[in-house]
Amino acid sequence: MIDFVASWLAATLAYAVPYALAALGLIICERAGVLSLTAEGFMLVGALAGVGAVLALRAPPLAALAVGMAAAALVAVLFALLVVVLRLNQVVAGLAMVFFCQGLTSLVGTAFGWTSKAIGGLTRLPLGPLADLPLLGRALFNQDILVYLTLPIFAAIAWLLTRSMTGLRLRAVGESPEAADAAGVNVTAYRFVAVLAGSALIGLAGAYISVGSAKIWIQDMTSGRGWIAIALVIFARWRPWRALAGAILFGCIESLVPRVAAAGIQAPRYVMLMLPYVVTLGVMVWMAVARTGRPGDEPAALGQPHVREERR
Amino acid sequence: MWSKTRIAAGLVACGLVTGIGHAGAQGLTIKGEPKIALILFAAKNDGGWSQTFEEARATMEGALNTKIPLVENIPEDASSITPPVERFIQRGSNVIIGTAFGYSDTFKKLSEKYPQVAFLNGAGITNGANLESFYGRTYESQYLCGMAAGAVSKTGKLGFVAANPLGLVNWTINAYLLGARQMNPNATVTAVFTGAWNDPVKERAAAEALIDKGIDVIGQHVDTPTPQIVAQERGVYGTGHHRDMREFAPKATLCSSVWVWDKFLVPEVKKIAAGNWVPAPYGAFPGIKDGGTDIACCGPAVPKDAADKVMAARDAIIAGRHVYAGPLTDREGKTRVAAGAVLGDADLWKMDWFVPGVITQ
Repeated sequence: MIDFVASWLAATLAYAVPYALAALGLIICERAGVLSLTAEGFMLVGALAGVGAVLALRAPPLAALAVGMAAAALVAVLFALLVVVLRLNQVVAGLAMVFFCQGLTSLVGTAFGWTSKAIGGLTRLPLGPLADLPLLGRALFNQDILVYLTLPIFAAIAWLLTRSMTGLRLRAVGESPEAADAAGVNVTAYRFVAVLAGSALIGLAGAYISVGSAKIWIQDMTSGRGWIAIALVIFARWRPWRALAGAILFGCIESLVPRVAAAGIQAPRYVMLMLPYVVTLGVMVWMAVARTGRPGDEPAALGQPHVREERR
Repeated sequence: MWSKTRIAAGLVACGLVTGIGHAGAQGLTIKGEPKIALILFAAKNDGGWSQTFEEARATMEGALNTKIPLVENIPEDASSITPPVERFIQRGSNVIIGTAFGYSDTFKKLSEKYPQVAFLNGAGITNGANLESFYGRTYESQYLCGMAAGAVSKTGKLGFVAANPLGLVNWTINAYLLGARQMNPNATVTAVFTGAWNDPVKERAAAEALIDKGIDVIGQHVDTPTPQIVAQERGVYGTGHHRDMREFAPKATLCSSVWVWDKFLVPEVKKIAAGNWVPAPYGAFPGIKDGGTDIACCGPAVPKDAADKVMAARDAIIAGRHVYAGPLTDREGKTRVAAGAVLGDADLWKMDWFVPGVITQ
């Protein structure tokens, strides 16, 4: 039993990282008022670019993660142009970006022959004697570098969003762009940068899936994890730390399901496979019921294009 | 996408069993020399299913002395399939080879529209006067992989990463155990279903969970080489599917169940060329003897005498030995194949039981 729990916990954080980083990226976009449904697409871009960097440029894994971030940010320039500058409907543009990215990554992956090529990828970095602690040693201190970095990344972004002047302006842009504009904040610039920064984090999540976790590129390999990240943002009520907790919950489930099967425990298989989605729904319903009558946490201007001087 | 192909392939089952369509009384005679065109479901370098057809194409071009044009990445809907097929036919192609379950209905319609063209469809479920679906008897190749796995495993605990519990997946798992027990009578196979054909993250999670439970050889019936890669990382062994996975995990991969479509398609096209071709009414279902499926064996970790036994068993299968020969009971003790009998194709396609020694959820 102890072995089962130890091996389960040891695997959990690595599966939580992609959800956590993607959700954090989405929070940055959405706190600035840009509804981003692009996560699934930008994760694919990050995943392909990461593997491509390893295969074509012989990049070390950390550099490959950076390439994944940069590639997602690059594609996000297009999305930002569409929704921030041209003020297209954000839902439609976001969905279109997902399909565009699915096609683009299939095309590029096939053209360069990056599909199904095994790569070295990130390796575990045990933190000395800490990694030998019973139960929690393997879970917390025998992980790859990005698992360790996720916590500081969250701390930095949470601080930036809630404690810094930049974060205040960014949230103002998401809550009331008119007021922010009147106060002298450049709404377009803030939204543009928020989309790029958020998308870079989503790209990092994707690159981690291919370079850190699977260590291979397969067409459409993110398998809907981007959509789960979107749900995660809603049930985290746009708060970074809650998103991290939610991501760890998903990591727990994702690492638990195959372990229950490998242990030969009789549990209904389809119920197990459904678990992450049932939990998503359940938590969202619970949040909705628990918060009835209180003002929503959703950024007030989420999804609304800002046209300067326009009355609403 | 893949997944659709496969789930579908599972339903080949139904197609084959109920015999959608029927063979015409009179065989098909195409006009002139066979001119083949290949419609690939995914990219020709996808490292898996589609690539096996691309590899067969090269061999077929040599063996049949013809050029075989192809199109890649054709999704499973009529509006994507029909235009390239019709273009090939207009350019004179008279043998069209498809590669996906999802092509079944469209190929059926096209075969009726173009009665003078021969249609073949891998993993399809429709058949007709000039249309034949085909799939391989992968339980034969997976049985041999199971033998290699059983010979190398020190713990006798084998694992299997599979997609979904369909007949065509279940028969590979059961065969894997039956093969392993030839080499180690106490071997067990713990199967984990990922619920996806093409999700390397879930496959890695499954493989790691199995290795954490003390399993030291991992078989697979999913579309990516991830289980082999994990096996190599963790210093255990594995057996592959689709193609020779020593390409991805040279040290870990003991044996792979591979597709050898040229071995089935070359004679089939020759039959078509000879005229009066009658497609198999329930589709073609070739085993190692007739092409379709085979093994790439053995990796360096398999001892010489074990490898010899695997190859001897392969010879026996070619000579007519059936993997599912009775007596066979399922885990609940119910007799599934009586002594002296073998499992029929219809029962294979709807296999929803496991032999004792297979551990599943």
